[in-house]
Amino acid sequence: MKISLNWIRDYVALDAPVPEITRAITFLGFEVEQVLAAGVPRLEHVVVGEILTSEKHPNADKLSVCTVDIGLAGGVRTIVCGAHNYRVGDSVLVALPGAVLPGGLEIKRSTIRGQPSDGMMCSGRELGFGEDAGGILILEGKPPLGAPINEVLPPGDTVFDIEITPNRPDCLSHLGLARELAAWFRKDLVYSQEKFRGEVGGAVRSDLFSGVRVDSPDDCPLYSAHVVTGVRVGPSPAWMQERLRAVGLRPINNIVDVGNYVMLECGQPLHAFDARKIDGGRIVVRRAREGERITTLDGRERTLSGRTLVIADASKALVVAGVMGGENSGVDESTTAIVLECAIFRAASIRWTSRSLGLSSDSSYRYERGVDPHTALEAAWRAIDLIVETSGGTPAGPVCVVGGDVPWRREVAVSSGFVRERLGFDIPVPEMRAALESLELKVTREAQAADEGAEWTVSIPSWRDDIDRPIDLVEEILRLHGTERIPPAPVVSAGLVAEDDPVVAFNRRVTSYLVGHDFHECVNLTLRPAPEIATWVSETAAAELALSNPFVEDQSHLRPTLIMGLLDTLLLNQSRGVPAQRLCETGRIFVEDNGQIYECAAAAFLFAEDGGRHWRRREPADFYSVKHHLGAVAAAAGVDLGAERVEPVAGPGFGWQEGHSVSAGSIGRGWIARFGLVNLAMLRARGIEGAVLAGIFAVLPEKLAASAPRLRYREFSLFPAALRDIALVVDASARAGDVRATVAQFAAAAAGSSFSVESVEVFDVYEGKGLPEGKKSLAFSLVFRSPSRTLTDDEVNDVVLKIQGEIAGKTPFQLRK
Amino acid sequence: MEMQAQLSSLLAKASDELQAIRTRPELESAKARYVGPHGELTAVMKQIASAPKEERPAIGKLVNESKARLQALLDSALARIEELELASRLGPPIDPTLPPVDGGPGTFHPLTLVREELCRILRKVGFTVADGPEVETEFYCFDALNTPPEHPARDPQDTFYFPQGARFANVSKRNPGERYLLRTHTSSVQVRTMLKGPPPIRIISPGRAYRRDTTDASHSANFHQIECLYVDRSVTVRDLKALLDYLFEALLGPGTKTRFRPHYFGYTEPSFEVDLSARHLPKVRKEWIEIGGCGIVDPEVFRSVGYDPEVWTGYAFGMGIERLAMTLYGIDDIRVFYQNDMRLLKQFSWGL
Repeated sequence: MKISLNWIRDYVALDAPVPEITRAITFLGFEVEQVLAAGVPRLEHVVVGEILTSEKHPNADKLSVCTVDIGLAGGVRTIVCGAHNYRVGDSVLVALPGAVLPGGLEIKRSTIRGQPSDGMMCSGRELGFGEDAGGILILEGKPPLGAPINEVLPPGDTVFDIEITPNRPDCLSHLGLARELAAWFRKDLVYSQEKFRGEVGGAVRSDLFSGVRVDSPDDCPLYSAHVVTGVRVGPSPAWMQERLRAVGLRPINNIVDVGNYVMLECGQPLHAFDARKIDGGRIVVRRAREGERITTLDGRERTLSGRTLVIADASKALVVAGVMGGENSGVDESTTAIVLECAIFRAASIRWTSRSLGLSSDSSYRYERGVDPHTALEAAWRAIDLIVETSGGTPAGPVCVVGGDVPWRREVAVSSGFVRERLGFDIPVPEMRAALESLELKVTREAQAADEGAEWTVSIPSWRDDIDRPIDLVEEILRLHGTERIPPAPVVSAGLVAEDDPVVAFNRRVTSYLVGHDFHECVNLTLRPAPEIATWVSETAAAELALSNPFVEDQSHLRPTLIMGLLDTLLLNQSRGVPAQRLCETGRIFVEDNGQIYECAAAAFLFAEDGGRHWRRREPADFYSVKHHLGAVAAAAGVDLGAERVEPVAGPGFGWQEGHSVSAGSIGRGWIARFGLVNLAMLRARGIEGAVLAGIFAVLPEKLAASAPRLRYREFSLFPAALRDIALVVDASARAGDVRATVAQFAAAAAGSSFSVESVEVFDVYEGKGLPEGKKSLAFSLVFRSPSRTLTDDEVNDVVLKIQGEIAGKTPFQLRK
Repeated sequence: MEMQAQLSSLLAKASDELQAIRTRPELESAKARYVGPHGELTAVMKQIASAPKEERPAIGKLVNESKARLQALLDSALARIEELELASRLGPPIDPTLPPVDGGPGTFHPLTLVREELCRILRKVGFTVADGPEVETEFYCFDALNTPPEHPARDPQDTFYFPQGARFANVSKRNPGERYLLRTHTSSVQVRTMLKGPPPIRIISPGRAYRRDTTDASHSANFHQIECLYVDRSVTVRDLKALLDYLFEALLGPGTKTRFRPHYFGYTEPSFEVDLSARHLPKVRKEWIEIGGCGIVDPEVFRSVGYDPEVWTGYAFGMGIERLAMTLYGIDDIRVFYQNDMRLLKQFSWGL
């Protein structure tokens, strides 16, 4: 909102310089977005002079050498001038050496093409206001020679562009802000005197206007209509136009301008009708009929809904209530009698209308934030005064006021002790009371408190509906004391025994692990496009994860995986020619399971092909690299992935390559892992070069929160191990894990209780020459150890023979010699 | 002295031969040829028995000397071989100017670095990190935070909602009729934490938040916030200011100043905007930069979580992590955080 300083000065005698006023507004709690100068700025060393002579510059065709009399400011000066719009005898403004013009130009005594020049005759633009109008500024009349510019020209203005917080609708007006500034600078606030105050000067003109009917009192708790007859519509006076322009409004005519002026003064929107255009002479406040049309003042035809409140006459809607007038009833040059509306509309109703029509105005903005119904009529009276003053006319009858009969009375009790307790520092008791009263928060009763302080009962004015608790008054006292004056203090912190949330701990561990393994952590957006989810995950997921009101089409769904985002990152880097191989991300994903969505914590990573050229090549990552790292990620969630059964990923689920990717876990168990090769054809369709290996682990936060069993130390043997190998020929399709499990089971049984089988590990996988077609060889290394003695070769060999016997007898595997 | 001649020619031969030996098998066979049971020295030694008795001591001495010299030759050959063996393990010579080929090191995302740094600083004064769902309900995101039903922030123009039928199995609703939405701030975590147990509470809630907004250089529909909440007996405005002074000085170093400007938020009263002055940072052109919002927890918020506002007081503070990271690192477009160009990520290998 734009606030004119000159206008503010109507109500409070501010003499502080502009930077101090800017600071005051800021620390009263209103952000100053811009400070703009309007009109003639305050300038030093710029005075009135009279051109005595003007001759052509001897060394320059386009310049003249003038003598200028600046009277008491310094007598006659010689000044070189480039303009030609003046005549000898004209009064002009001369910037003398030492003057600094608004553009920053500093005037110095100088020599121009060999001619000394003792100042500069200025144009309006050079002085920071107006246009050049073809040269220097020629003053009208004969102002005294040597008079400073600010004595002969009307003072300029300063305009503050201010953001008013939603709790302070009372400050959407000059009066409201003046009240705040008066309090800050401890000055008196002077209200405009109303002359008319609702009295009817002329006759009751029921022929023009007969009354108001409010059909929707909930949406319109107060509606008043005043009639003024005999008005002459024309331009409003210059002072009013200047103020409206200063705050960014275009003057229209005296009636409309008064409405705007009073709104900007008091915060109360007003609307004037041409009385003759009200069909039936009666105003009806009602809901629009579904589909009813009105052409608003901006020239657009609007179709209204049954929720829209309108001001109507007998036949048609005249105004979209509180938002914008209609073209059919506005004031124009032929208007001679007006009906002035001053009303209160329910904020939510106006907000709905404004949003649904995509139409907002100074009026709707104020109604949406709340207009004080208890001072509304004062604004109407003020407007009638100004209308009479600027366009003639006589207030006539009838005056109609419907509603507005709920009286205002509010008192809040607060004590100086409470204020101190909440602030944590001391403000003298009299200063507290003075702060409240300066804001017209009148102390109606003061009592001595037990702590020697004061207990106050404070009467809250109707425009401060935001104050209804003691804490609200603490804020007022602090605001006026100055939030910059909160004294520093050390941080006092009593120890609290709490741990970081398990999800946070999980993310931190996993990210540290992956970054420690050369992955680059990425952050991708949570919202993804629908088609991607349908193709890469499932149609059901795409349906369940949809937002009801996406803002842009390609961000319409919650992400069900982190891998899409990582692929985006990969693609972006590839397309920019930047190598990217190892990427990771942690974050929330949303997993659809049986028609329900589970918000999971997740970690994912990928390996892209190394497209770069290096002087030495390393072995590329493969499925087992992914398995290795995902195992570490799962371990951070307390899941031993190596001990889990993995299943092939069926179909295109999550966009994996069939036969080269697997999944484990389930929502029922609280976690899901998927890893392997990303579907090659889908990658190509996405525009990604090369193969991508990826893994994702998702876990329900509640599973992470379940406390992990406490670990216990397991003793280990200090005796030497006995090592034996067993090689088996098995079907090429057999899974090493299954074969290993069988061997381990036989080994454990064979060793019995005499000693332990410490480990059974695959150490060789071979397929090809020397083996039958469709077969492969798996070699296992078995480690035996006793906790209490060194094992003898014979007892270990016996166990190996038993294992071999079991394998030969009970499995299709062949022992390989 | 035939034997003496024999021995010296044997030693001369052995010396030549052993010096040429490079491998263990060669050494073993040479050893056998000289000192083995059928070795040449052994053969000479056998002749001692047939020598005249009076010559034996001299011959014996001579033989022992030769034996010792031969052993010395064998030892030095062995030492030379061991040295050669170690040298062979060294691999080819290196060129220290060649670059490594393994890629890396990995990097933390700048948003993570800033978040973790803030958490580290706040942990020192007793805050721990809390977490909660990103999909929230109207109660946790708005109602409990004193945001009335008609408040513009709740409008579907500004907040992402889910359809009425959406079923989020592990995000609890407070009221059966309320809608699911994407949280607009991480304050919902504060509400959930307060509902879990009684004060005192001292938590940080960093995380993603969402606003239905146009994405441009300074706005992102998806952004990160960090919020602090402290609830205890007699928490004051001065305590809040002290925390922020400490936080920003710890983060940005000495010379950092903060100031409060009165403002308005529904969930705090009084409320302030926090400005930061850190002229020592590069790219900070303005004297004061607006960095976050804070205030004393509004009694209504306590009421909605069942805390008695007559007993408990508290403060809350929140700010955007992107905005802070942009100030800290001199980044002027928020979108770069979500593009993950490796050239950005690699600039932030370790720490701030």
